[in-house]
Amino acid sequence: MVSKTEETQLNRLENQVDNGGGGAWEYLCLVRKLKVRRSEKVLKYGLSILNDPKKRSALGPEEWTLYEQLAIAAMDCQCLDVAKVIHKRRVAMAKAQGNISVAIEWLNKYLEIFMADHDAWRELADIYLSLQMYKQAAFCYEELLLSHPTVPLYHLTYADVLYTLGGLENLQTAKKYYASTIDLTGGKNTRALLGICLCTSAIARLSKGRSKEDKESPELQSLAAKVLEKEYKQRAADKLGLLTSALRSLKI
Amino acid sequence: MVAELKYEISQNAYIKLVLHALKHKTTAVNGILLGRVNPQNDSVVEITDSVPLFHSNLALLPSLEIALIMIEEHYGSKGLGIVGYFHANERFDDAELGIVAKNIGDHICRYFPQAAIFLLDNKKLEALPMGKDQSPVMQLYIRDASKNWKLAGPDGGSRLVIKEPAANAVLSDYISSEKWQDVVDFDDHLDDIKKDWLNPELFK
Repeated sequence: MVSKTEETQLNRLENQVDNGGGGAWEYLCLVRKLKVRRSEKVLKYGLSILNDPKKRSALGPEEWTLYEQLAIAAMDCQCLDVAKVIHKRRVAMAKAQGNISVAIEWLNKYLEIFMADHDAWRELADIYLSLQMYKQAAFCYEELLLSHPTVPLYHLTYADVLYTLGGLENLQTAKKYYASTIDLTGGKNTRALLGICLCTSAIARLSKGRSKEDKESPELQSLAAKVLEKEYKQRAADKLGLLTSALRSLKI
Repeated sequence: MVAELKYEISQNAYIKLVLHALKHKTTAVNGILLGRVNPQNDSVVEITDSVPLFHSNLALLPSLEIALIMIEEHYGSKGLGIVGYFHANERFDDAELGIVAKNIGDHICRYFPQAAIFLLDNKKLEALPMGKDQSPVMQLYIRDASKNWKLAGPDGGSRLVIKEPAANAVLSDYISSEKWQDVVDFDDHLDDIKKDWLNPELFK
């Protein structure tokens, strides 16, 4: 509960800022302290500080607090675009300062609300990959594939992540996604074609000694190899020899 | 006592890697070091060439596996092998050897047990045009007896040298002329196979 004096103080400050008398940051601090809800004013004054580089740097470490307060106010006012920008700046700052776990936490919070933001999913995936958290990165790509099922890059990278995770099931799924990448890109995507060959080879190695039903059909791999050889012959003939030996070493 | 290994990198191998890092300032990049143990002095590892690898998704295996197969095949026929790994972190003030670099380094050690990791030293690189420092803008990491990657000690500066003393002057020149634009890495090759990761014309 806010006391009468506190409310008067708040209103006086609000008037002051409204009439160009400064004190925006003091106002924001008071709103936070009293835990009152004045989101429109908070948003207006907060953005004026944020958009002024001098005022922003004068905040020092308090900049974080401003972002948090603004983000909540923005969402309260249904200013989702502003909320998005603020969230993204927070994450960028956390990353720039090397605060990776904070960046992950905030990206996750952001995505709970703005789950359609594919740039954010990719950014989160990239962070997970840099920490070798492949399962979590795979999850991000699964979300991306759900909402954007025809973007070849997502199929390709998802396949790469699964291959890196390893294990028979992941390799078999990776192979499917390399195949869908090839489908979506007109059949000549070098990375996907090589991915098919890598998967087939790895699956064969893992399946040694298993029953015949688990054996992969070799057509897809030989088809991929043929396309690769043709492409290299036409466009990178000096590297054809290297490609051929690489494919040979994978067929085992 | 076994003499500590010294690493001597050729000017071209060195410059290629730094230019690659400068071409992709906002992401981490990596590369492979090629060379051999000096036939006249087996306490020196000569790095005679380098191949810039990737500027995206450094932690994913498929492209790395293909690259290593092709690189080994090409250089093997010249009597050279993979002797180390180069890494440049994404952030300017990140001077740590991260987990991806360590894991790739470990993998490279299977090719060559005394493999080293060279980590780009951003602060040194920034100071380059202003000074006359002839030492490389890289830090040397080697594995200790427990296979942990350790920064080569305070005398580490003398364990990693550039063969040609004027290399940093040449590098500074190239930086001024924005030569990094001409560097091709393995990522570029996979995106367009016409692009040659051997960079045959780079220093002509």
